[in-house]
Amino acid sequence: MIALTSPYLWYTTRATGLVTLVLFTLVVSLGTLVANRIGGTTVGRFELNELHRTISAVAMAFLAVHILTTVVDSYVSTGPLATVVPFISSYKRLPVALGTIAFDLMIAVWVSSLLKVRIANQSWRFIHWFSWLAFAISIVHALTTGTDARKGVGLVVVVLCLAVVAGAASWRYFARPTRAAGRTALSPLGAVVDPEPRRSNHVAAPTRPFDQDLPDRRGDATTRPSPPAAPAPHRPQKRRPR
Amino acid sequence: MGVRRRTGGFVLLVNPILCDGFGHCAELAPDLVRMDEWGYPIITTEPVPLANLAALESARYAVRGCPRQALRIERVSDHP
Repeated sequence: MIALTSPYLWYTTRATGLVTLVLFTLVVSLGTLVANRIGGTTVGRFELNELHRTISAVAMAFLAVHILTTVVDSYVSTGPLATVVPFISSYKRLPVALGTIAFDLMIAVWVSSLLKVRIANQSWRFIHWFSWLAFAISIVHALTTGTDARKGVGLVVVVLCLAVVAGAASWRYFARPTRAAGRTALSPLGAVVDPEPRRSNHVAAPTRPFDQDLPDRRGDATTRPSPPAAPAPHRPQKRRPR
Repeated sequence: MGVRRRTGGFVLLVNPILCDGFGHCAELAPDLVRMDEWGYPIITTEPVPLANLAALESARYAVRGCPRQALRIERVSDHP
């Protein structure tokens, strides 16, 4: 094999590594926004979901360049197999292995998402939790392997990414809605004042037979009848506090 | 060749077990889906003609955008 020792490969590895970390920070944060049912008026929930999916594809592309330039660069020998099998790189065995493990986890998350229609939803969810682990491992990978993450701008970026994702993780853990969190503002009835804004995540039992809900009321959203017992006070739509 | 008469209709169906009330479908297909008071979808049960390409496209977007994969499009042939 031709000795590819150009420093530009190394520069590309470093740059794409940092960009990948930032992109995956975005992906994880957007995924948290989707899971916590954020969005409605200015940005639709589906838009956040689309961003989550699209940016993850871009991030995987940057990750591919990051890994490819690492393997091709013959200044340090990692070996092509070290991209998927951890602990076989002769250069920085443990730090490179961390990157390998994170990459393997990301592949699992990615492939399971591509096969989302085919596999059980619980399996997909379980595998998707691994993305948190992959992110944590890649932070350690950046700090231990990286040339740039030790000081200066690189360190600032890594710390910021870690802070953002740690915030997203705690938000996901503490403010997670168990079930639906109400209609979105973009939905046809979204602008209508909710007669009984829900105060908690618990889904209350319907106070009237569900059959009465069935006739199509689309189009007459403004003249929607309120329950006769408690006339709905006109109040601006309020977002449930999180 | 290439030109196919679009006959029949389709309905958008939700699997209520899978649905978690994310509300994406109501944003993506507002003509087909409205939301109940708890954020779950109420989908129109009347078949929509397949010739209504805008509705079909929005239904496909809703199927693709559902975070729980709870939606599917089913063809109904007896629609005029």
